[in-house]
Amino acid sequence: MNTIIIFSFFAVFFRLTDLMILSHKRLSEKAKQQHIKVEDIQIRRGIIFDRQGRELALNLELESLYCEPDSLNLDNESVRKLASTIAKEPEVILTKIPSEGKFAWIERKLEPDIAERVKGLNIKGLGFMNEAKRVYPKGKLASHVLGFVGVDNQALEGIELQYDRYLKTRGGKVFFGRDASGRTLSSGVDKEAKGNNIVLTIDEGLQGIVEKEIEKAMLQWGAAAASAIMMDPFTGEILALANRPSYDPNNPGKVNDFEKRNRAITDCYEPGSTFKTVVGIAALEENIARPDMLFDVGKGGIEVGGKIIRDVHRHGILTFNEVIQKSSNVGSVMIGMRLGKERVYKYAKLLGFGEKTGIDLPGEVSGWIRPPERWSGTSIGAIPIGQEVAVTPLQVLRAYSAIANGGSLVRPHVVSEIISPEGKLLVSLRDMEMNRIISKKTAETFKDILKGVVEEGGTGKSASIEGNEVAGKTGTAQIINPKTKRYSKEKFVSSFVGFVPADNPRLALIVVIYEPKGQIYGGVVAAPVFRGITNQALSYLDIPMEDNPHKNPLLVSR
Amino acid sequence: MLRIDRRLIKNFDWITLSVVMVIALIGIMTIYSATRPLIEGEHPQFYIRQALWLILGVIALFLMVSFDYIWLGRFSLYLYIVGTILLIAVFIFSKAGMGAQRWLSLGPISFQPSEFFKLIYIIMLSQHLSITKGPINTISLFRVFFLIVFLPFILLLKQPNLGTALIILAIFVPLMLAKGLHKKIAILFVIIGLISLPFLGNILWEGLRDYQKSRLIVFLEPGVDPTGIGYHISQSKITVGSGKFLGKGYLRGTQGPFRFLPEKHTDFIFAVFAEEWGFLGSLLLLFLYLVLIRRGLDTAKNARDDFGRFLALGITFMFSTYFFVNVGMTLGIMPVVGIPLPFMSYGGTALLSNLLAVGLLISIRTRRFELFH
Repeated sequence: MNTIIIFSFFAVFFRLTDLMILSHKRLSEKAKQQHIKVEDIQIRRGIIFDRQGRELALNLELESLYCEPDSLNLDNESVRKLASTIAKEPEVILTKIPSEGKFAWIERKLEPDIAERVKGLNIKGLGFMNEAKRVYPKGKLASHVLGFVGVDNQALEGIELQYDRYLKTRGGKVFFGRDASGRTLSSGVDKEAKGNNIVLTIDEGLQGIVEKEIEKAMLQWGAAAASAIMMDPFTGEILALANRPSYDPNNPGKVNDFEKRNRAITDCYEPGSTFKTVVGIAALEENIARPDMLFDVGKGGIEVGGKIIRDVHRHGILTFNEVIQKSSNVGSVMIGMRLGKERVYKYAKLLGFGEKTGIDLPGEVSGWIRPPERWSGTSIGAIPIGQEVAVTPLQVLRAYSAIANGGSLVRPHVVSEIISPEGKLLVSLRDMEMNRIISKKTAETFKDILKGVVEEGGTGKSASIEGNEVAGKTGTAQIINPKTKRYSKEKFVSSFVGFVPADNPRLALIVVIYEPKGQIYGGVVAAPVFRGITNQALSYLDIPMEDNPHKNPLLVSR
Repeated sequence: MLRIDRRLIKNFDWITLSVVMVIALIGIMTIYSATRPLIEGEHPQFYIRQALWLILGVIALFLMVSFDYIWLGRFSLYLYIVGTILLIAVFIFSKAGMGAQRWLSLGPISFQPSEFFKLIYIIMLSQHLSITKGPINTISLFRVFFLIVFLPFILLLKQPNLGTALIILAIFVPLMLAKGLHKKIAILFVIIGLISLPFLGNILWEGLRDYQKSRLIVFLEPGVDPTGIGYHISQSKITVGSGKFLGKGYLRGTQGPFRFLPEKHTDFIFAVFAEEWGFLGSLLLLFLYLVLIRRGLDTAKNARDDFGRFLALGITFMFSTYFFVNVGMTLGIMPVVGIPLPFMSYGGTALLSNLLAVGLLISIRTRRFELFH
């Protein structure tokens, strides 16, 4: 008897040691899995404002219909009624109801009146749950910046994705105690969490102007696509960013990839003449050329590695300034050859090509420029005029902003502040670092050259606006046909990049039109869009006109 | 008959009483924790009812002590007859609870006759052995088995109440051994036992209800059926294992109160206790039961007469079996047979009958110096 008891005692003792000390971790993990329920918090995503506090993305409380299959008792009649109420086929509804279980969605985020009507059907086993639907009140406006969310409010694109952790705050999970029947036991846990609000650098008004103008250009030129970015050249704040085609973020399900692409930062193109700035700046910076230095481009062509590079129009002898202003290919290649490939490459990199700008939007690409050791014999005839390189519109805009702001590379960004729901400033992206890359003198000199582009005799005359001086550059590039790997004869990219007012720049703007029909030149296709946008933007911003007797004699003589 | 003299008070077994009272109070605390309300509006009454039964039980215990237990021996046959009739009555008048017919209703009170029958059975067996002369031989063995053990065993098995039925069978063995067997019988017993083991096993197996079978299968291989019976075992292990060294703290346990652990306030109360009080608390509880058992064995050794000796031995053995089988089942080292943890599990009849048994133990110890009369 004693032996049995002592034996039993030790059996129990060892087993207790085993379970409670040795296997404790494993068993208590299991226990936690059972009695702790992890649930996604119903997040009210933060509101996205434009720079003046106008709401661009907000939440709407809607009711979602679910069923409890275990207690659901649906006959054909009620299925039919339910189906017609929520405008679905009865079969579709039946496929959503599993044969058993405690929960299944039937239809998410119903319109309030439909929800009321479903409630009126009084079907047992159906229930409603409040859910927040993300709403973009301005529709397509700035859709490529804002991005969108899925049906579970999961971030999919744009700011929504890039700043998701701020918009929905911490993790978004909450832990509840629960009992075996699944009842939640802990009370007082806030199941709702409000995300932080985001203030963009985007200005709804400017964005609207940009959207409207590129929409117009798309129609006018029957273009395949278009992008435009407006930026404060001193701070890198993106004031507007738009692409065509575009989409309505309120219906993200219907969006295809082509519409979704934020080409302004995700698509590369050969910049063409807008890239001539690189050799121009390099030549000034390296003292290889002065503005009045003469270049004989009279032959209308120059041979590089067995290939002849031609000008569109034959010019005689051009000054350095005129090479840029008239966008002479021959002159640019001459400058490039004087610089040598090392320095051309160095300045391209210095101006930010071949590297991401670091904009706070998802999907940015770096583009590419080959390092000098991999240049072919003809590269020195191609790269100075913007071929054999791939850039994004934003990179070009940033390089021109450096000219506008006196020689510094800015960091483009679309968010200026993140503010907690209580109103506390969490993150400020104002006062971003600026990185001086070229001398102020070079920047000033080049600014004057770019002013000439828009004046009589320059390629970008149609970008000029009344009352304020514009500095800018046209660009026309052929698109490489992916099938033949040769430059296409019909497909071009026309662009114009510049800033206004030239001497006190407030806006830098790039307009890129992909595959315009009828006309191809940047000066014809893109420059008028630039003018249309800046004209309205300057009056929107109440930027005073300058006295400019040369261009506006009427204004002067009463 | 009712005599309370000075000697009775002087020799009173306070240790046994205190240990049992501490265990019973721990039991009520644990029942409260296991059934505590989790959401507003729930007011489980289990712990209150258990407390009322405890008060009743303590009164009964003192009454038991105040009688000389020798009277029980004298009335054992009548008690046995009444007990057996009640067991039979269960089949006629009972309401089934949890798939078994165990309960009898007397007005508002329901009770399980089997709980009292265990005690009656021990009294009967002890009385019979105490008047049998010399070691047990073949004839007396069969007589005891068929006259006293067999009928109630079958009746309990039919209820079905496997736990109590096995206890009845189990108590029989050590009492026989304590009485002393003829060497020949002992050897014969072992041989018959070994030969019949497969047969007996088969017969027993066939006689088991499905749920009993699955309990056994699951005991051998808990992974087979994690949501059914195996669920009991794995939940119980999870609950105990959550306790760690110092436990989660009183009223901080989750697995029992949150209803993951079935039978949390009855058969599996040890797990709830272990989760909240940890390894240390469980050892302490183990120690309390060991004190009770050692004390019971000591009482048997020093009993004034053979009847008292067998009685103390039978009761102590019953407690130890209950304790180790229950804890063993909670810890997953014994099959799940539905037997409660003495003094702790919720259940009024069991508590009352156990306290009556403790009353007997105390009575035997208290009267160990008394002479025959």
